[in-house]
Amino acid sequence: MRPAQAYPTGLDVDLDVFSGPFDLLVTLVLREEIDLWEVSVARLIGDYVVHLADAGDFDLDTTSQFLVHVATLLEMKSRLLLSLPGDDDVAEVEAEEAGEELLAALVRYTQFRRAAEALAGLWTRHAGRIARQAGLPACYSCPPSPGRRMPPAALAEAMAPLLREPAAPDSSHITDVAVTLVEELRRLRVLLRRGGAFSFQSVAPRGRLERAVTFFALLELHNRGEVRLAQKRAFADIVVTPLVDLEASAAG
Amino acid sequence: MDHLTRRLEAILFLAPRPVPAADLAAACSAGDDAVAQAVGRLAAEYCPGRHGVELREVAGGYQLVVAEDCESAVISYGGARAPEDLSPALLETLSVVAYLQPATRADVARVRGVSSEWALAALEERGLVAEQGRAETPGAPILYGTTDRFLMVFGLRSAAELPSLDGFAPGTDDVEELRARLLANAERRTP
Repeated sequence: MRPAQAYPTGLDVDLDVFSGPFDLLVTLVLREEIDLWEVSVARLIGDYVVHLADAGDFDLDTTSQFLVHVATLLEMKSRLLLSLPGDDDVAEVEAEEAGEELLAALVRYTQFRRAAEALAGLWTRHAGRIARQAGLPACYSCPPSPGRRMPPAALAEAMAPLLREPAAPDSSHITDVAVTLVEELRRLRVLLRRGGAFSFQSVAPRGRLERAVTFFALLELHNRGEVRLAQKRAFADIVVTPLVDLEASAAG
Repeated sequence: MDHLTRRLEAILFLAPRPVPAADLAAACSAGDDAVAQAVGRLAAEYCPGRHGVELREVAGGYQLVVAEDCESAVISYGGARAPEDLSPALLETLSVVAYLQPATRADVARVRGVSSEWALAALEERGLVAEQGRAETPGAPILYGTTDRFLMVFGLRSAAELPSLDGFAPGTDDVEELRARLLANAERRTP
């Protein structure tokens, strides 16, 4: 089939100059040179993948463009399928609508394509006309110097705000972290020394960040072998049991 | 030639771009009517076939251009080159922008059925279209319009001088033919 071969050429040359499926549709369908139905989209994509592999580098723009082209092609093909006389009444109405929509788009496109042809005619007549483009001779085209109108003080005035020290930004809305890891470790050790085992829930503060610090302190204690942590199931309360002589560890 | 006409001639001789009548009037401290009449006399003097340059009205102003039969001499003297031709894709995109301006990329894509980003960028690079702010719709897309250079290369006095778009609408026969071909295409595929 011809069409399958006609495509990759456009693809190989440059997708950007390939004027696009609508143009294609009009040209191909109207002149019946190439039947849209016979354009194998799968083959087209296959060729493009090979083309990508050969090119070595991956150009996102070109590839996106290609995807748009292929998507438009597929949409047009499916619309043509829809406009087949169907058994279902509803489907038929929808197909008719889709067909009319496609027709309307084609009519509008044709209108602009003809306008473009008219522009091309004007271009041929006028684009080559030669007129002077150089500016006026320098001595006549100089803009009046601002120096005559502006006192030197104006320069200092313009500079002054740049030299002024800006006010310190207001940071009152930012609060410090209320607890530190060291403080939390100290607090937990006191608790362990005083009462032995306790649960995480009973000692953890309210704030999310503070709870996280407490949890981190527990992990640290566990890491050092000072406590044993036990949890019955995921997300259950954690029971903390002292393992070492805290008096000794606090002293050390 | 009277003094006003000669002064206009002098300005147009040096001007690097089309000069609006109002600018001519201001430069010569003359009334609009007097300038209009003087421009008329100048146009008669510089009508095609009389001199090596001609007066033309373009892009909202007046400009002296080299007469067509003298262009080859100018080209061999200065090595001037005609602008590179526009591809059909560029012309299509340009016509959409010209008639729908200000137009967004989506407007162009809707008519052409393909993304026209590249074409718009190429036209912008050639100075034929330019950004004209942003639409007040979600996403604030860039609005494109044609430039003075567009008017100059297409020999238009203003965008309003573009041939009417209605004139390009396909006639009933053409539409019926399009429909018939679409249907024929569909039927050929009927199993």
